[in-house]
Amino acid sequence: MEATHAHDHGHGHDEHAHHHPSGIMRWVQTTNHKDIGTLYLIFSLTMFFIGGILAFGIRAELFQPGLQYWDPEFFNSLTTMHGLIMVFGAIMPAFVGFANWQIPMMIGAPDMAFARMNNWSFWLLPPAAILLITSFFVPGGAPAAGWTIYAPLSTQMGPGMDLGIFALHIMGASSIMGSINIVTTILNMRAPGMTLMKMPLFIWTWLITAYLLIAVMPVLAGAITMILTDRHFGTNFFNAAGGGDPVMFQHIFWFFGHPEVYIMILPAFGIVSQVIPAFARKPLFGYGSMVYATSSIAILSFIVWAHHMFTTGMPAAGQLFFMFATLLIAVPTGVKVFNWIATMWKGSMTFETPMLFAVGFIFVFSMGGFTGLILAITPVDIQLQDTYYVVAHFHYVLVAGSLFAIFSGTYFWLPKWTGHMYDETLGKWHFWLSLIFFNITFFPMHFLGLAGMPRRIPDYAMQFADFNMLATIGAFGFGLAQLLFVWGLVKCARGGEKAPDKPWEGADTLEWTLSSPPPYHSFETPPVVK
Amino acid sequence: MDTADGHKTAGATPLQVVKAVFWSFLGIRKQAEYDKDAVTLKPVQIIIAGIVGAILLVLSLVMLVRFIIR
Repeated sequence: MEATHAHDHGHGHDEHAHHHPSGIMRWVQTTNHKDIGTLYLIFSLTMFFIGGILAFGIRAELFQPGLQYWDPEFFNSLTTMHGLIMVFGAIMPAFVGFANWQIPMMIGAPDMAFARMNNWSFWLLPPAAILLITSFFVPGGAPAAGWTIYAPLSTQMGPGMDLGIFALHIMGASSIMGSINIVTTILNMRAPGMTLMKMPLFIWTWLITAYLLIAVMPVLAGAITMILTDRHFGTNFFNAAGGGDPVMFQHIFWFFGHPEVYIMILPAFGIVSQVIPAFARKPLFGYGSMVYATSSIAILSFIVWAHHMFTTGMPAAGQLFFMFATLLIAVPTGVKVFNWIATMWKGSMTFETPMLFAVGFIFVFSMGGFTGLILAITPVDIQLQDTYYVVAHFHYVLVAGSLFAIFSGTYFWLPKWTGHMYDETLGKWHFWLSLIFFNITFFPMHFLGLAGMPRRIPDYAMQFADFNMLATIGAFGFGLAQLLFVWGLVKCARGGEKAPDKPWEGADTLEWTLSSPPPYHSFETPPVVK
Repeated sequence: MDTADGHKTAGATPLQVVKAVFWSFLGIRKQAEYDKDAVTLKPVQIIIAGIVGAILLVLSLVMLVRFIIR
C-alpha cells in the first residue's frame, strides 16, 4: 500500500514546491491522508494478527476438556485482550484507515481538514497498543475482566488493568480526534455540486459513525476514569460497600457499548453499499432510504443499551422497553439488506473477490442479525446470557460483518491504492477458506450455547467436547487462511499487473477518476459534481 | 447549512420535515417525496426533528409498556 510520489519527485513541477522527509521520517511526520490511511491499515492488520494469536490461545485450550496449556487467570486475560485488541486495535482503526484513504478522494477534497491532528490521531495508537500489550508482563498480568471490564472485577485487578485503562483513554482520544476530522472534512470540503444527498453511501455511513463516536467515546472515558479513581483514589462509584453500585458501571459501559456496535458496523454497511452496485453494474437501490435507515439505526442505538443487562435484574417495564426498542432496529437494518438484494436483482453481476466478500457479508451478517433478534427477546436472553450462543452471535456480526466488509473494501480499493491488480485466484481462495472456516468455527457455538456452555471458561463438561473440537479446527483454519490475505497484500503492493484508473466497470465514485495509484496530492483543484 | 453549491432553496414546511423523519425511522421513502426532501430540507431541521422523533418514540414505547404491565 504505497502512495505514489509521482508528483513529489518532480520538483520542477510548478504546482508543488513541497519537500517532505523520506524514509522512516516520511511516516512519522506525514500529514498526507493517503500515508496516514496506510499507517492505520498496517496498524490494524498488525493488531488483527496479535488478536488472532490470542484467539489461537483460547481455541487451543478449548480443543479438549480439562486444563491443557494455561491457568484459568491467564485464559481470562486471553479472552479479554482478544476482545479489546480486536475491537479497539483492529476493527476501528481499519475503518479509520479506509476513511483516511477514501473520504477525501470520494468527496473531491485535497486532504483531511485537520492534517496535523490526523497525524497525531494515528500516532497515539502505537503507544496505546504498547501499553495494552505490555500489561501481559506486569504483576497480575493483563486485564482479565472481559473486554467489558465490569466492576468489581476491574476494580480489584493488578496494575495490568491500569495499563489497559490508559490504553483505552488514549485510543478514545485518537478516535474522537479522528471523528472531528472526518465530520469537518465531509461537511466543509466536498467538491462543488456534491450536495449531502449526492455523497457516496460510504461517506454517509462514516459521517454518522463519526457523530456516534463523538457522542459515546467520552462516556467510555468517564466509565474507565471512575474505575481508575475507585482503584486508586478512594472513590466508591462502583463499590457497593461504600454506597456505590456495580450495576451502574454496566449501564454506563453499555451506553457506550451499544452505539459502539454500530460504530463497528455502519462503515461496513458503507463499504458494502459501494461494492454491490459496482459489481451488479446498477446504481444502489434506494439510496435515500439507505441514508434514512442509517440515521435511524444511529438514533435507535442509543435507546437499547440495557438489552445487554437483562439478567442484572430490572423491572418488567424496563425489560419490555429495551426488548421492544431492540426489536425495532431490525426494521431499518432489514431495509438495508433488502436494498442490497434489490440492487443485485437483475443486475449484470460478476463475482470478483470484493463482490464475493460483500455477498458473503450479506449472507452471514444476516444470520448474526437474526440471532441478535432472538437474543433481544428478554426471556430467551435470560436463558442464553453469557453462553456460547452470545459468542456465536457477536462473531457473526463482527467477523462476518465488519471484518468481511473490511476485506471486501480492501480488495475493492487495493488496485487504486497500489496501482496494481491483486491476485484474483489468491483472493478467491482467501474468501472461500474464510467463509467455510468461519462457519466451522462459529456455527457450532450456537449449539454449545443452547446446550448451556458458559463463555469465558477454560474448561468445560464432557458433553461439549465434540463441538469445541470442531470450533477449534475451524478457528485454526480461519486464522491460517488470513495468511493468504497478507500474501495477496504484499504481492499486490510489490508489483503485479498494472491497474487501470477504473478497474471495476460499474464503479462511479470520484476516486476512480484519479490515476491508479492516485497522485500524492489529489484533487488540489476540486472536481465539479453535476 | 447551505448546499455545497451555495444554492438557496425554498424551505420545507414543518409537516414535511416530520414526515421525512417519520419515514426515516422505517428507513424507506417514496422517490418523489425523497427528491423533494433532498432539495428543500435543511440538515438542522432534520436533526431537531430527529431528536424530537426519538423522544416521541421513547415516550410511546414507555406508554405501551405501562399499558402492558398495568
